[in-house]
Amino acid sequence: MNIEVATEREDKTLVLLPVGRLDSANARSFEQIVMEQISSGEQSLIVDFSRLTFISSSGMRVLLIAAKRLQATKGKLVLCEMKEHIEEVFRISGFDQIIPIKSSRGEASQTV
Amino acid sequence: MPDAFHVSMSPRLSELRDLSRMVEEFGDSQGLPEPTVFVINLALDELITNAVTHGFTGVPDPRIDIGLRVDGQTLLLTIEDNGHPFDPTADSRPDLDSPLEEREIGGLGLHLVKTFASRIDYRYADGRNCLTVEHDLQVDSGAVAG
Repeated sequence: MNIEVATEREDKTLVLLPVGRLDSANARSFEQIVMEQISSGEQSLIVDFSRLTFISSSGMRVLLIAAKRLQATKGKLVLCEMKEHIEEVFRISGFDQIIPIKSSRGEASQTV
Repeated sequence: MPDAFHVSMSPRLSELRDLSRMVEEFGDSQGLPEPTVFVINLALDELITNAVTHGFTGVPDPRIDIGLRVDGQTLLLTIEDNGHPFDPTADSRPDLDSPLEEREIGGLGLHLVKTFASRIDYRYADGRNCLTVEHDLQVDSGAVAG
């Protein structure tokens, strides 16, 4: 099952906006899209959650892989615009300690 | 819509989308807050993914039965399947502390389910895994500002 991901560019930063649900049924599709971007040389990534309604650990796994991969090449991944209950899931998982989470897109742009 | 629903599905990840829609409709009909519906769909994604991935090799006519019911201030989710015995409540604590380069994702989904639930009960009876996950609606609605 495929996921729709909108993309926007801010100078050297690529912004990914996954749409709808990011679950175990479409996490592989999201992984493929993210990894293709990193493989093609993107070093500065923002994932904007404003259009995302749901995420499970399958989707979080993809973000973890992407963050590890970018860290290995001195790149960076920043997340932003999460709904409060989604951010809570990231906190409970301890992801907020290893991947920067910003409330707004503007803050994410300054961090990445 | 009545204050309970029941659905029987094949153990396929592609079924999760329709299931989540049904849970959302049920949540709307019961006036459940968005974060509560989110937590139920999270539990379903994690538990069904687990069952689909590990539970049905060689099982004839594999089925998963899901029930959702409001009982006073408690939301009861039941998941029953005829797969191999598997107790998700016995899973150990995942890695929540390692630095990024060492962090592993294994076990995180079940950790999330356990954290959000007020009670989880597992039993294996008559060839079926039977899991009950309870959510306290008062706690949920108090925790959800927005």
